[in-house]
Amino acid sequence: MERALKFNIFRYNAMDPRSVPQMQTFYLDETDSMTLFIALNRIREEQDPSLQFDFCCRAGICGSCAMLINGRPDLACHTKTKDLPAEITLMPLPVFKLIGDLSVDTGTWFRAMNETVQSWIHTDRTFDPKATEERMSNEEAEAIYELERCIECGCCVAACGKANMRPDFMGAVAFNRIARFITDPRDKRTMKEYFDVVGTEEGIFGCLGLLGCEDICPKHLPLQDQLGMLRRKMGWTAVRHLFDGLLGKTA
Amino acid sequence: METITTDLLCIGAGLAGERVAVEAAARGFETICLSIVPPRRSHSSAAQGGMQASLGNCIKGEGDNPDVHFADTVKGSDWGCDQEVARLFAETAPIAVREMAHWGVPWNRVVPGKSTYFKAGKEFEKIELPEKEGLITARDFGGTAKWRTCYTSDGTGHTLLFTMDNEVVRLGVTVHDRVEAVRLIHDGETCMGAVARCLRTGALRVYLAKATLIATGGYGRLYRETTNAVINDGSGTILALDTGIVPLGNMEAVQFHPTGIVPTNILVTEGCRGDGGTLKDVNGERFMDKYEPAKQELASRDVVSRWMMHHIRQGLGVKSAYGDHLWLDIRHLGEHHIKTKLREVEEICNSFLGVDPITQMIPVRPAQHYSMGGVRTNKDGAAYGLKGLFAAGEAACWDMHGLNRLGGNSLAETIVAGKIVGEKIADFLEGYEVHFKSACIREAVKHHQEREDRLIRGKDGRENVFVLRTVMQDVLMDKVGIFRNGEDLQKAVDGLQIIYERTAKIGLRSSGVGANPELALALRFPGMARLALCVAAGALARTESRGCHAREDYPERNDRDWLKRTLATWKEGDSLPTLTYEPNSKVWELPPGDRGYGVCKIISSEDPVVCGIEKPLPDSIE
Amino acid sequence: MQSSGQAVLKPTAPNEGLLDVAQMATGVALILFMWSHMMLVASVNLGSGVMNAIGAFLEDHYLAQLGGPAVALLFLIHFALAARKIPFRPKEQANMWEHSLRLQHTDTWLWVVQAFTGMAILVMGCVHMWTVLTNLPITAGKSAFRIQGGWWLLFYMVLLPTVELHVGIGLYRIGVKWGFVTRAQRSYVKSLENRVTLAFIVVGALTLITFYFIITAVPKP
Repeated sequence: MERALKFNIFRYNAMDPRSVPQMQTFYLDETDSMTLFIALNRIREEQDPSLQFDFCCRAGICGSCAMLINGRPDLACHTKTKDLPAEITLMPLPVFKLIGDLSVDTGTWFRAMNETVQSWIHTDRTFDPKATEERMSNEEAEAIYELERCIECGCCVAACGKANMRPDFMGAVAFNRIARFITDPRDKRTMKEYFDVVGTEEGIFGCLGLLGCEDICPKHLPLQDQLGMLRRKMGWTAVRHLFDGLLGKTA
Repeated sequence: METITTDLLCIGAGLAGERVAVEAAARGFETICLSIVPPRRSHSSAAQGGMQASLGNCIKGEGDNPDVHFADTVKGSDWGCDQEVARLFAETAPIAVREMAHWGVPWNRVVPGKSTYFKAGKEFEKIELPEKEGLITARDFGGTAKWRTCYTSDGTGHTLLFTMDNEVVRLGVTVHDRVEAVRLIHDGETCMGAVARCLRTGALRVYLAKATLIATGGYGRLYRETTNAVINDGSGTILALDTGIVPLGNMEAVQFHPTGIVPTNILVTEGCRGDGGTLKDVNGERFMDKYEPAKQELASRDVVSRWMMHHIRQGLGVKSAYGDHLWLDIRHLGEHHIKTKLREVEEICNSFLGVDPITQMIPVRPAQHYSMGGVRTNKDGAAYGLKGLFAAGEAACWDMHGLNRLGGNSLAETIVAGKIVGEKIADFLEGYEVHFKSACIREAVKHHQEREDRLIRGKDGRENVFVLRTVMQDVLMDKVGIFRNGEDLQKAVDGLQIIYERTAKIGLRSSGVGANPELALALRFPGMARLALCVAAGALARTESRGCHAREDYPERNDRDWLKRTLATWKEGDSLPTLTYEPNSKVWELPPGDRGYGVCKIISSEDPVVCGIEKPLPDSIE
Repeated sequence: MQSSGQAVLKPTAPNEGLLDVAQMATGVALILFMWSHMMLVASVNLGSGVMNAIGAFLEDHYLAQLGGPAVALLFLIHFALAARKIPFRPKEQANMWEHSLRLQHTDTWLWVVQAFTGMAILVMGCVHMWTVLTNLPITAGKSAFRIQGGWWLLFYMVLLPTVELHVGIGLYRIGVKWGFVTRAQRSYVKSLENRVTLAFIVVGALTLITFYFIITAVPKP
């Protein structure tokens, strides 16, 4: 059954002095297997070539196309129109800086996040090109990969009540990344060092436990479990630090 | 105008670009990466199956070494590659994989003991050795003698790219994302950087650099049906072609992957067949075992794609609203395997097809996948003709793939070439000085600015760039596809020339203000049309069949006349590329022979050096 | 991005962590108290003698005189800790409200409920505690007298579900926040928690009915 789809799309071009933020309506006839990737490209090619949005892999792998689809953050490329009502409202992700229309600046945000959590293996070992690789059990490798699957699309941040209130909140993506390195035996950071990164109000202790991240993550990462694990570990580190201080030990 | 100066400018921040940047930064050189998307969104992340390196840890890879990997790569290329480069590559790949492990890639590891696996739909048993426990394991891929493809589930490109970008962050390499290089700054001898356009604001910027690297990936989006990301339109390759000096190598060498899903052409990994998945026709019957008794589903991609198209032409395809297709069947691999080793495939099938691969077959058809051609470089990654210009990865024609790339060799190339070319660039930068000539900078900026102004003012005409792009994609898809012939190729060249003429009359329908997507495409599209002409003209001129280039009117592989690489340059004002040729290899460690799969009709070479009878004189060729 | 390299880390004081642990600990303690409290008050359903005996026991062992103020202190500390999370700036409140309306996500709404009930409990809880603790010992007759007065019935009809919602949601959130409840257990725990909350509200409502209709009111001496 062919439906006439009505799209309400947020429009604003910051570079154009005549542009004001507003919603614009477009109509399209639905086609078989239509996704928002197909729909938005058709709108751009057939109706308004200035419409800004981001797609890259269009296969749910690269994380470019996250936007608010009828209020919920999700990847536009893997959203089928047949799963949506005939009226579809598309807005840019909140929290991130707007570039124009549906396009937001996730690149800057994620670079800063990766710098803040120091998203790399911390080790004293140097690479020896002649040596065999360090061994690791396959279960460990799979456990790391489970968390490494994050595509930095920004949906968890947009779905986070705390991040919407406090833009300096690190967000589930950062906590998941820390959890990924805690899981990795190659990373030699101590709990205290991790604590220095996330043991703050902007970090894990600012998390309100609303689980918007868990429920919205397009890659179904186990965010609830990772955030819980991290909070326990960091809470325990804080308590231990207190007792060490009381007993006069240096932390 | 904002002007930024640096030692190394990497245009493109996918795996190859970032690997080069990491090498240069580690050696202390100031490095800036430009990327049209945030670096972790680069198309490298979409590579699923794995990366070839002859570690020989798993039992089915026992006895593997760089010699075997080298031989597989040369055979895969249908003897079209540069054997010196293929050798260098095969020797370095194991080190590169281990280095990535050191940096944090969670490679899947050897689990000792008994386990089962599937090959060609049948179940077998293998026993992994206890002394190899915990070392990096590998899976089977097409065209290889051993299990050699290292992997992390089916998200290998993703983990490699994230790990590489972690290194970039650690080393403090600057990345300017949403910036597109639009013109190289050069004086005909030396490259001095590039003019770039900010895709956030539309503003122009000048980047001056002692060394400039093109690592922008392939040009798959010249085709209608491609597995490539929407950003893979060859923008970096266009920069090189627009110099009029730097040649592009083997642009006609375009690979079709057997398993793009129908209708969206999203890739499902070769790992599906590597892990034992089978191809089936309308009757639910396998056919690759009949066409290729030895390698079956795991012949090289060019061969499997051709047999699939052949089978569809026999009327044995499955009819659908989106044309005929075939089935990929992985049901027998079982739920556990699919949910752990092929989870991306499962997700793609669920999200984009509404198909559950655990219980249903996947509709597939060959789709454009990889560009073997690109900016021609020497083995150090230096582009021909311009000092200080380099290229690496899919954007380059380095040339280890010849006329067909093996699965798992593309990720490997990005890392290995990135490492080698990065070292060479760092060597080059040691003590190198360049004069940034203001006239060249002014000329490059002016050239671009004028184009932009004309487009925005709409002075040239009212051609719709989206329409032109669709027409071009159709021409390449229909006439320069898997099977090619002189008549169609000539029609393609003629048709593309008309499209190219029309690009001069493109006019915007929108204002072009700011980060306007129509303007961005309109600026890029004439270059895309030139690339398309390089592909079609190169294919028309190559009167033989080799690797992915299958000419119905010239079915033989002609080693006598065509052990050559096509070099395409574009003289300003021309409407066709200028094609010249060079021998495709200086050394012939592995003389041309039978690949062991595919139809093999060969016109043999009579060159004693090629046949391995004589040793080449040092630098005797070229 | 475009920042030049690595973040410089300052060692973090453990304060936030300790405050967060304390928030959880006071929360858990108050939940346990609230449950016991409900049990004790609901004992009136078994007859006013039972409740009076318990009240006298608490009084005789100074649990009411000391425990009461201790709970009040705990209550205020918990409020102070939890209030750190509540947005007081209008911009933050507006953002959160818009976000909740947009997302239509149960757990986000639950937090909004928790924030509002928390504020309500601060006021009403203080009133309740003042009234009860300044008129010890607790007896069924005195409670009935208050409730049969009319306005107090209304007061408790509001306070009861407010407290039970806050307690129920709070317990669930402690579970998921600290990882005691895993992804696999979440939906089960959530529905269990809903049923427990409902049960407490029902028991509380029955108790109010008992006070209103059955127990003989004894005015303040």
